[in-house]
Amino acid sequence: MTSALPSDDPSGGKTDGERRAALAATAVLGAAGAAAGAVPYVLSWGPSEREKAAGSAVDVDLSSLPPGQMKIVEWRGKPIWILRRTPEMIEGLRKDTERLADPLSKRTTYTVPAYALKDPELRSIKPEILVVFGICTHLGCSPSGPFAPDENAQLGADAGFVCPCHGSTFDLAGRVFKNKPAADNLPVPPHRYLSANVLRIGEDESA
Amino acid sequence: MGLHKTRYTGLVGWVDSRMPTVMETFRAHMSEYYAPKNFNFWYFFGSLAALVLVIQLLSGAFLAMHYKPDANSAFWSVEFIMREVSGGWFIRYMHSTGASFFFIVVYLHMFRGLLYGSYKSPREIVWLFGCTIFLLLMAESFFGYLLPWGQMSFWGAQVIINLFDSIPMIGPALSTWIRGDFVIGDATLNRFFAMHTMMIPTILIGVIAFHIIALHDVGSNNPDGVEIKDHLGADGKPLDGIPFHPYYTVHDLYGVAVFLLVYFAVVFFAPELGGVFLEGNNFIPADPLQTPHHIAPLWYFTPYYSILRATTQGFLPWVAGGVVALGAVAFLRVRGPVRFGIAAFAALLVALLTVPGVQLDAKLWGVALMGSAVMVFFLVPWLDRSPVRSMRYRPRWHTGVLLAFVAAFLILGYLGMLPPTPLRTVVSQVMTAVYFSFFALMPWWSRMGTFLPVPERITYRAH
Amino acid sequence: MRGSLPLRRALLSLLACLPLLGFVPARAAEEMALDRWPQSRADDVASLQRGARLFVNYCLNCHSAVMMRWNRLRDIGIDEAKIKEELIFGDQRVGDTMTVAMNARDAKNWFGKAPPDLSVIIRARNTAEHLGTDYVYTLLRSFYRDHTTLTGWNNLVYPNIAMPHPLWQRQGPRATTIERVEREEGGEGKVQSHWMRVTSHFAPDGALRVEKAPQDGGPESFSVRFEPADKAQAAAYDEDVADLVAYLNWMGEPGAATRYRVGVWVVGFLIIFSLVARWLSRVYWKDVR
Repeated sequence: MTSALPSDDPSGGKTDGERRAALAATAVLGAAGAAAGAVPYVLSWGPSEREKAAGSAVDVDLSSLPPGQMKIVEWRGKPIWILRRTPEMIEGLRKDTERLADPLSKRTTYTVPAYALKDPELRSIKPEILVVFGICTHLGCSPSGPFAPDENAQLGADAGFVCPCHGSTFDLAGRVFKNKPAADNLPVPPHRYLSANVLRIGEDESA
Repeated sequence: MGLHKTRYTGLVGWVDSRMPTVMETFRAHMSEYYAPKNFNFWYFFGSLAALVLVIQLLSGAFLAMHYKPDANSAFWSVEFIMREVSGGWFIRYMHSTGASFFFIVVYLHMFRGLLYGSYKSPREIVWLFGCTIFLLLMAESFFGYLLPWGQMSFWGAQVIINLFDSIPMIGPALSTWIRGDFVIGDATLNRFFAMHTMMIPTILIGVIAFHIIALHDVGSNNPDGVEIKDHLGADGKPLDGIPFHPYYTVHDLYGVAVFLLVYFAVVFFAPELGGVFLEGNNFIPADPLQTPHHIAPLWYFTPYYSILRATTQGFLPWVAGGVVALGAVAFLRVRGPVRFGIAAFAALLVALLTVPGVQLDAKLWGVALMGSAVMVFFLVPWLDRSPVRSMRYRPRWHTGVLLAFVAAFLILGYLGMLPPTPLRTVVSQVMTAVYFSFFALMPWWSRMGTFLPVPERITYRAH
Repeated sequence: MRGSLPLRRALLSLLACLPLLGFVPARAAEEMALDRWPQSRADDVASLQRGARLFVNYCLNCHSAVMMRWNRLRDIGIDEAKIKEELIFGDQRVGDTMTVAMNARDAKNWFGKAPPDLSVIIRARNTAEHLGTDYVYTLLRSFYRDHTTLTGWNNLVYPNIAMPHPLWQRQGPRATTIERVEREEGGEGKVQSHWMRVTSHFAPDGALRVEKAPQDGGPESFSVRFEPADKAQAAAYDEDVADLVAYLNWMGEPGAATRYRVGVWVVGFLIIFSLVARWLSRVYWKDVR
């Protein structure tokens, strides 16, 4: 006696067609269902509300920041430098162009927001307030400074910042000097002014 | 060149010529594993159990990515998952609902075994692995239930671990060792987390693999209890069998679809299920200084919890009576010197139950009975003396006996969810007697009555 | 013996009777029947917003809701500006959670018990006997003045509650009369116990007047009557509590509405998938003999 399995039937034309249709329908629906079911699992890896809240914008009051001084605040776990530049400091920025690797911030590794490049030599919205990430673009250490001219051997007559790890130097607009391990200028975070003295870091004008 | 000869082409051929085990396994366990044609509704639950296992592993892993096993943060980390993790509520409800459905599926799967004699020779090892899986599952859910660190989590674990106190001599030291502290605390939570997420799942997966391998070594049973391998065709394949793949893959896929429908209906519309799946008290953070009015374990433990609570001081003489009756029957029916050993053991038990001074605590007897109620399942292949596998060909009243056992199980389960009253305790005690009688008397009732002739071939209704 | 019908019948009828034995209820003698919270408010956005305001103004002083983030209130239609201006007191940011200044140790010293966090309070009060919404709804409307307690307040749903009535100003003054019929044990020298009707009248200022009258017999009973000084105010208060409970219910699981919405699609899909899977199975099994 042979077994009566349809799969053994040689003339299974019609049966075969229906099987194929049923298989296709099941496969398509099954795949769609599985994909939909996977969505919450994949999304669960994204930042949770707690992370989003912690990563939300930070407001800084600048009224108590005297000229020449720098404030450091944390945003998304990283240090943000806020430096109130004096007129002398700004003047110095106009003069150090030949010593800089990327004086007009043309490199694209870190995109500088357009509103901070209105004056590419200052890299800020307000000429006197510098807002940059205080993280060396070489390997991530936080540079020391700000140093005045002739205050630091590695900077020489320039004013700026010096990274203690491998010696990269940056000017008071966060631009990197030539022939240093770091190739990029210090990145600029999204930021805007809520009022003359209140700076919000983490949000653009467009937000 | 060292490549194996292969019948396949393409990518499959490439793999098969280098690792033939892949296709050999597929053929041995799927496309050339012949299963009986006549599987019915009761045969869905094995594959469904495997499905729920996968659901629990996946949802559990993703929960562990956000859960904090620390006494101060645990409760709040669960709420964090529910509210702040994208899709977190869905993952959590899948896991809590999955735990309950695991037991629903496994209990129905075990019932099938009792119904069709799937534990009988040559499938005893399959049954033993299955009982082991049942034990591991109970341990897994016991460890897992502490993790949300709610009032019920804490006090449920407190009550169960305190049971170990009643073991003579080593009890209190054992409880402290299990807890890692004098009371359930952070130490306990941390180790239960490790047991629940790593240790037990690993062992469980191994035992499940062996369970399926042991089954495939002897072939599946069927509702008629007939050995399909007794009638082979010219091709050497069982006449009453069909290849598992594609016939049971598509059949079980249908079962999976309906199961997921019921499962997700609960997940989305009634994840608490009126407090049965997620208890209200567990939304209160654990407080070691305040016990809730009414502690009950999760529903799937309640039958055994009932047996524990039913074993009061007043019940012990009845248990002793049962031991005497069973010992007497065994003494009269068993041949050889072993009968004296049985009698002596029975006498010892009676002494420990009733004789003042020697008597063990009712609390300890409760633990013993509760434990025995679970362990007795291991003995079923040897307690059952029926010449026939399936209930279909046994005397009709055998089905009644099985249903009486099921009724006792369900009633014990229901009563276990409620606070005890004197009447409820008496009912629990009667049901405990029914429960144990089912097993204790099985060597005799399973042989009694007029058995129907078992057919040579399976009975199959086309569908 | 072959297929004994009488035995089968006997077994089945025995089986049928047994479940009934478990159904004997065990009720406390003086269990107050809870009022039903109007369920329709569960997804009434206006009600949830009013409830949120009440919660912030009256509950958040002592109770925290540490799992509730302020900006989640956007889900019930309150925008961030409004949250910051009208709801957040102090210098919390809109992304912060509803924590409170009072610490647990102080709370325990002052009240005898730390006020529980309210993030999931409604879910925590769901039991087999009652819904959390009904429980909290009745509790917040069952305060009465009672000079004998530490705070001067007592509660019918939770006797000797450590919490004073947080919304007493909104409810307005009212007199409370509690009537109990109970068995009083005979005192010294007396042998029998006898039934008494004990009427406790709490004036709006908490002054207590107790009247006892002997009764012929039981059963035990318990009833309450309130007499608010201003009926309109009391009715408005009931509305307030309904809104507050709606908010607490929402806060317990802010994603519940999403869950139902997605669930309809999922179950709908699975019904279709089941039918297609059934078709596939039948197609293969059609010709199996």
